[in-house]
Amino acid sequence: MALKALDIYKLLPKKNCKECGEPTCLTFAMKLASGKVKPEDCPYLDEKAREILGASTRPPVQRVKVGVGERSFAIGEEIVQFRHEKTFFHEPGIMTAVSDRMDADTIQAIVADVRDHLLVRIGLDLRLNGIAIRSESGAPAAFAAAVEAVEAVADLPEVLLAEDPAVQEAGLAVCGNYRPLIHAATRDQYREMCALAVKYGCPLAIRAPTLDALADLSGLCTAAGAGHLVLDLTSPSLHETLNSAVAVRQHAITRTTPALGYPVFIDTRPSGLPDAALICGVLKFGSILVTDAISDESRKAFLVLRQNIYTDPQKPIQITPGIYRVGSPGPDAPVLLTVNFSLTYFTLQGYLEASGVDSFMLIVDTEGLSVLTSVAAGKLSETLVRDALKEFGVPDLVDHRKLIIPGYAAPLSGKIEDETGWKVLVGPRDAADIAEFLEKEWP
Amino acid sequence: MTLSTLSDWTGEVGTVTIGALKADGGTRSTTVTIGGERDLSFIGSPPTGHRPLIAFELCDDPSLWPAPVTKFLGDRASDPAEWARWAGQEYAPDLIRLFLTSTRRRGFSDFASVTTTVENVLQATGLPLIIEGSNDPELDSEVFRRIGEAGEGERLLIGTAEAARYRSIAASAMAYGHLVIAQSPIDINLAKQLNILLREIGLPHDRIVIDPYTGALGYGFEYSYSVMERIRYAALKGDEDLAMPMISSAIDSLTVKEVREADPSGIEKISVAWELYAMLPATIAGASIVCVRHPSTILPLRAGIDAFWPAPSGGGGA
Amino acid sequence: MPTVTFLPGFRKTEVKSGSTLLQAAQQAGIHMNVVCGGLGKCGKCTVYVKSGRYDFDCEKFGKFFSPEELDAGACLACQTSVLEDVRVLIPEESIVQEQKILIDVMGISTELNPAVWKYALTLSPPSLDDPSPDLTRLLWGIEKAGGPKEGDIYAPLEVIRRIPRVLRESGWKVTATVVLVPGGYRLIDIEKGDTSPACYGAAVDLGTTTVVVFIRNLIDGSIMGVASNYNRQISCGEDILSRVTFARKGGLKKLQSLAAESINAAITEAANKAGVDREHIYEVVVAGNTIMTHILMGIDPAYMIEEPYVPVVRRYLTAAAGRAGLEVGEDSGLFIFPAVSDFIGGDIIADILASGMAESEEISLLIDIGTNFEVVLGNRDWMFACAGAAGPALEGGEVLFGMRANAGAIEQISLDLETLTPAYRTIRHTKPKGLCGSGLIDLLAELLRACIIDRTGRINTAIDHERIRAGRQVPEFVVAWKEETGIGKDIVITENDVKALIMSKASILAACRTLMNQAGITRDEIAHIYFSGAFGNYISKENAIVIGLIPEVPVERITPIGNGAIEGANLVLLNRRKKKFLDEIARKIAYIELNAEPSFMDEYTGSCFLPHTDLSLFPTVEEMLGKCRMRRGVP
Repeated sequence: MALKALDIYKLLPKKNCKECGEPTCLTFAMKLASGKVKPEDCPYLDEKAREILGASTRPPVQRVKVGVGERSFAIGEEIVQFRHEKTFFHEPGIMTAVSDRMDADTIQAIVADVRDHLLVRIGLDLRLNGIAIRSESGAPAAFAAAVEAVEAVADLPEVLLAEDPAVQEAGLAVCGNYRPLIHAATRDQYREMCALAVKYGCPLAIRAPTLDALADLSGLCTAAGAGHLVLDLTSPSLHETLNSAVAVRQHAITRTTPALGYPVFIDTRPSGLPDAALICGVLKFGSILVTDAISDESRKAFLVLRQNIYTDPQKPIQITPGIYRVGSPGPDAPVLLTVNFSLTYFTLQGYLEASGVDSFMLIVDTEGLSVLTSVAAGKLSETLVRDALKEFGVPDLVDHRKLIIPGYAAPLSGKIEDETGWKVLVGPRDAADIAEFLEKEWP
Repeated sequence: MTLSTLSDWTGEVGTVTIGALKADGGTRSTTVTIGGERDLSFIGSPPTGHRPLIAFELCDDPSLWPAPVTKFLGDRASDPAEWARWAGQEYAPDLIRLFLTSTRRRGFSDFASVTTTVENVLQATGLPLIIEGSNDPELDSEVFRRIGEAGEGERLLIGTAEAARYRSIAASAMAYGHLVIAQSPIDINLAKQLNILLREIGLPHDRIVIDPYTGALGYGFEYSYSVMERIRYAALKGDEDLAMPMISSAIDSLTVKEVREADPSGIEKISVAWELYAMLPATIAGASIVCVRHPSTILPLRAGIDAFWPAPSGGGGA
Repeated sequence: MPTVTFLPGFRKTEVKSGSTLLQAAQQAGIHMNVVCGGLGKCGKCTVYVKSGRYDFDCEKFGKFFSPEELDAGACLACQTSVLEDVRVLIPEESIVQEQKILIDVMGISTELNPAVWKYALTLSPPSLDDPSPDLTRLLWGIEKAGGPKEGDIYAPLEVIRRIPRVLRESGWKVTATVVLVPGGYRLIDIEKGDTSPACYGAAVDLGTTTVVVFIRNLIDGSIMGVASNYNRQISCGEDILSRVTFARKGGLKKLQSLAAESINAAITEAANKAGVDREHIYEVVVAGNTIMTHILMGIDPAYMIEEPYVPVVRRYLTAAAGRAGLEVGEDSGLFIFPAVSDFIGGDIIADILASGMAESEEISLLIDIGTNFEVVLGNRDWMFACAGAAGPALEGGEVLFGMRANAGAIEQISLDLETLTPAYRTIRHTKPKGLCGSGLIDLLAELLRACIIDRTGRINTAIDHERIRAGRQVPEFVVAWKEETGIGKDIVITENDVKALIMSKASILAACRTLMNQAGITRDEIAHIYFSGAFGNYISKENAIVIGLIPEVPVERITPIGNGAIEGANLVLLNRRKKKFLDEIARKIAYIELNAEPSFMDEYTGSCFLPHTDLSLFPTVEEMLGKCRMRRGVP
């Protein structure tokens, strides 16, 4: 459990020296508790305090980086079991699999598709992350050729799925400098695999039949110099995978078993249910998800689910700006403006539904601030309203030009009228009065 | 040592049985029991509590139903009884969830039809039923009385109670022996508040199923997901006012932009994907009943749930 | 120029044609209610034009009036332009009413160490043998009389200019006044004869709504006079935001002079009552919120309401009182309390000082409630503070029959749990006109006890009782039948009123709980809850807990400290050594921005329930409510 500000404060020198850049030791403690500053920022921490604070603020799941260049990504550094406790930091990479039994053209078509696939949502680019190359032939040369085929098309992060060290090395000889994830060390060949990981400076996935064996293997590999580990929890049973993943996260964040403090790898193939396995991986702590090519629809749903789950829940809860319908509004329906603070949205929506008046809600982006604060903070402005009307195509939805604004936004009414050319009706301050207002003011 | 999940849970989710067999005064051919978890979803071998179930949703006024489904169904959509019978037979969901969407039309006054529709659907399927009534305080009292009366003895799960209107539905449930869905807008506090309100007017906790409200994938689903996790967490930590099983239905799944604007040839696949990628996660977050509208979602959703719950399937009853 | 005559009273003023009646009223010194700041939105500035030509858009603003009222010449003063001589009737409710302003002061004792000394001196006249200059002679006299060393006293030019004449005309019998300011000792006055007993100071609470002044005798510490009145800035907008908006539109000068005027009026009233000459007030200590003190000092507050909400000054300020337009001795000292942030101002520092929490090891929770609220949690080692908007409901705003604590406001109420008949007490014991904050809190608690409302505030209309009725829009409970009221209609509380109150109380409880979480403190560890402000003095502690306005603690731990701002200002006036301590307090406080605190919203929704969603936080309330439900036959 993370330390509270006051617990941290008790460990600080209480000099209020300001050398850390904070006005007081208490504010420093608050920021330290929320991870905004580091213990080292305090120049006067004694040894014991440093130890306690260092231990309680270092992420319990190690950071691992896969790939180089623009598309490389980091995983790990997670600190919670539930996203509502803080947030999940690094979304899992989805690695589309190719096989060394495929011909080069097939491989390259898949790689090019992964490279170019792009889904834009809420202004963010959602992408597939990389390529997993399976050694199915068992031949080093075939594997190297497959890796070469991949490399020829894109600089994407890679996973080399080859448990035979000789085959693995053949792949690494092609792409070892681009930090692919080596998959996987087992109890039998971990020395060779670790040596490869050390030689090429690559992260290493490890695999064992039980969590106990995995923890042991993790210790052996770190002792052998491979520090950037990834734990393969793949099982034909998704029940097993889910249970192991939850156990690993619990052991890691409680620091009960530091040997399990690494990101998790899941291959969706053995389950035979790629959708369910991907869902499991996104929700329950997967960091590297290998999958054979899936349908475009599944891919879309996966990317959106991943985006949802890895959104920071502690930012003020926001509703996506846009036009929302209550009932089945027609072109004569009222348009009500409000902010994208979820509570405001839900309150207004509830009362609108209760009013029985079909209507449009125009939700503008005030970064999750309420009406009163966004007006005070200047976040709700006439230009924002103007742009939102345009962006969400409101003029095409209705044949009138009247906008109902919240009572607390009354000071902006004139400016909104000037900026948009719409007639502004100042609504009630309290959404509870909306029914009465509409009855009286809406023709 | 044997490393496994860590848990210091002290609480347990209550169990709720939906539907009544002949012997118990109903006419259902099966009943289902949900809840009873003493750990996170699917955790433990076998997992604690009861396997999550699938409810198939239909309605009595398809003009308010998503197009991908009504197109898929064709004429069946005009008769809720046939719709329920067919779906039960062909897709084997665990429950049928009937929305009396006709009551949500402006000026609705044909209360007798509520009785008829509920009776017809009860006759057409032997599956346990969830009935969603009106959402207008003016109509609630009569609509829920009729639902309650028409299904007396059947141990229906009826919805939806909200903080603003819970008295009529609770009264009907108490009078006719039914269960209640308590819905709150994606907030653990509001969910708990409603359960307390219901308790304080005499509806016991074992007659309540929590609906934390589920946003569609990409449209607020993450809030619902976390609220479900929080509710389950609170229940396991011993909060009895949150220790009820949950129902989750991302009712907007098939009207979101991604589905609306999909190419007609891909509409079934995207419908299934959008329902599957919200409802399977909902079971992992803690939902005991997940709901779908597209019949084609049932099969992959069932496969997913079974993969997380390897013990022999007992149709959810065991 | 047209003349506007205001009735009753026939106050006249000349204005430019086209001026609004509101401007005319301000010019005539009449303080009208302008809640919306003159935008024509609130309908509070109703007036009746009895004769003369004027321009008012009945179409647009007619909604505020009945046809009869329009026929009688009703219009909004802020939206009506004067075209020629007019006679205007201002109804009583449109004029800012005298309010029950809190001036009770808890008897905290402090050492008497004022920053002012008066020395009655008899000096020997200069001679050829003793040719030292007048000033040196005077300062030596002070030193000899036990005052500071001659070389340590600074004498401003204004005073030096008066010295030769005063010394000679008085026959070398004079009284010199020395004050201690941050720069050192300063000679601020010289008078003929012995005026040393006339040594006074003024403590001022400069609030957004009200101004309170205490005049203290700085020789024995006694209270000479007390006065309070409205902050005259109200005519430029009721709340703090509208004041800043007014300042932004070039109104800073006007706001500054209104602030000074408000203080001057109160000082004059108190001084006159006590027979004190204002010239003998040598130090004025002002505690106020950050925006008010900025305005008083003529510092532009415009940027304080924008992100990142930075004040211009945080440390304490001093100046010659005359420079802020205060009509006391020209060179008298003016001391302004330091602030922590935009939202935690000198008034809160004064509260903390008055409560004594900054000197105690025990943990205290201090709550200052108004339209905005401030909460401080801590002890002598650490303090967390936050501020927020509670909405006006707890002050009677936005509640249908809510009113300020004026005559006729129901300030206490209880219900007979069997018959649901209310028993109430009004301010000044007149017929009820509405409910003020303390009455509303009582009522909320009683409605809950009587199971008339559920925990979210919904009225149970299934109860068959004449006082519970459907209402026009939402259900309502009749508090007083029209025959018993002073307004000729039933006084009711509607479900919407109840919800507004719950939302207000929820912000405050959520703020308290956010600070407690931040510090990792449970309610058992809170040794004291201090209520500051008018509100806290009149409310029932028990009912404040029943509704969950504050965390549940044994009631004996709750202490209203009255007007902490004026209390703190008094302490500093009497004991200059506290000034240094103020900066120490201000530095100790860690300000928590509730909007940036992710858990706050959670705490807020949890608190939007009576008393709170986590019932285990209010164990005795739960037990009590359980019994009430049993008695009402509710399971």
